[in-house]
Amino acid sequence: MNYSTVIGDPMAEKDRWGVANIYSSFNNTIITITDITGAETITQWSGGKVVRADRQEASPFAAMEAATRAAEDAKEKGIVGLHIKVRAPGGNGPRTPGPGAQASIRALARAGIKIGKIEDVTPIPHDGTGRPGGKRGRRV
Amino acid sequence: MPNTEYLKIPKERVGVVIGKEGKVKQNIENATKTKIYIESETGNISIFPAEDMEDPLSVWKARNIIRAMGRGFNPEVAFKLLNDEYVFDIIRLPDFVGKSKKAIIRQKGRIIGREGRTREIIKDMIDVDVSVYGKTVSLIGDIERILVAKEAVEMILNGIRHKSVYAFLEKKKQEMKRKEFQKIV
Repeated sequence: MNYSTVIGDPMAEKDRWGVANIYSSFNNTIITITDITGAETITQWSGGKVVRADRQEASPFAAMEAATRAAEDAKEKGIVGLHIKVRAPGGNGPRTPGPGAQASIRALARAGIKIGKIEDVTPIPHDGTGRPGGKRGRRV
Repeated sequence: MPNTEYLKIPKERVGVVIGKEGKVKQNIENATKTKIYIESETGNISIFPAEDMEDPLSVWKARNIIRAMGRGFNPEVAFKLLNDEYVFDIIRLPDFVGKSKKAIIRQKGRIIGREGRTREIIKDMIDVDVSVYGKTVSLIGDIERILVAKEAVEMILNGIRHKSVYAFLEKKKQEMKRKEFQKIV
């Protein structure tokens, strides 16, 4: 009996899957690719790493670029498929993912990575702290 | 690939999602390559990816379209969401005006305006579709424009006069025009 297959030596496995955590706000898109447990980060890319101007960090283009580079790194480490966890700022902020989320998922798929489950993990308070702004609202 | 989405919509909107002889539902299924099951008694909806689905996001898209219809949009407007650049956003009125029913009704009237004036002005000036339904205000439009529309609606909800909100929209419209012009040059 071959023990390495029973214990499941990670290097011997052929189909390695990971998790892509995509945080997409209106200011940036951050892509963190981890192993399936989420404890070991494989690569981390963000919109800010690929563009110069601050206001372009959240753009779909920056997200696409970051995602393709993250996909390259992941493939190098032998990952063939990714489950996806999309997250918007949540809490008191917006709860819909920003413009980079769709673009980055699509870029990952185009880079030749299998896409597994897509999940929305935006933190939603069961009544948390108050909204910023105070009683008289935001005064500009 | 088990990638199913479940959602619930108001019962009276189920008919809109299905459409005459199931036309609307069929259109969604064909456009996004999904399978949709609707429980018409409860309003529970499940969306499954079809076997020939290529785009991993199509289930999401279908969900957004159905959610938009459930929030009071007619199918034609909701189908704009098939375009990648359009997003759908919901503003919950109780977050701004509290739980009082009277206050919610009053603010809904303020957003719609006399004979739909205010709503129409938002649509004309920055090209964002607005739907006021139940306790929510929903918006469909380009992502940058939606941010402006959201700010405008929040301004109305915070009690700012309509006149100032129109002025704000006008200013933003000019700004966007200028930006587009610079892109071309």
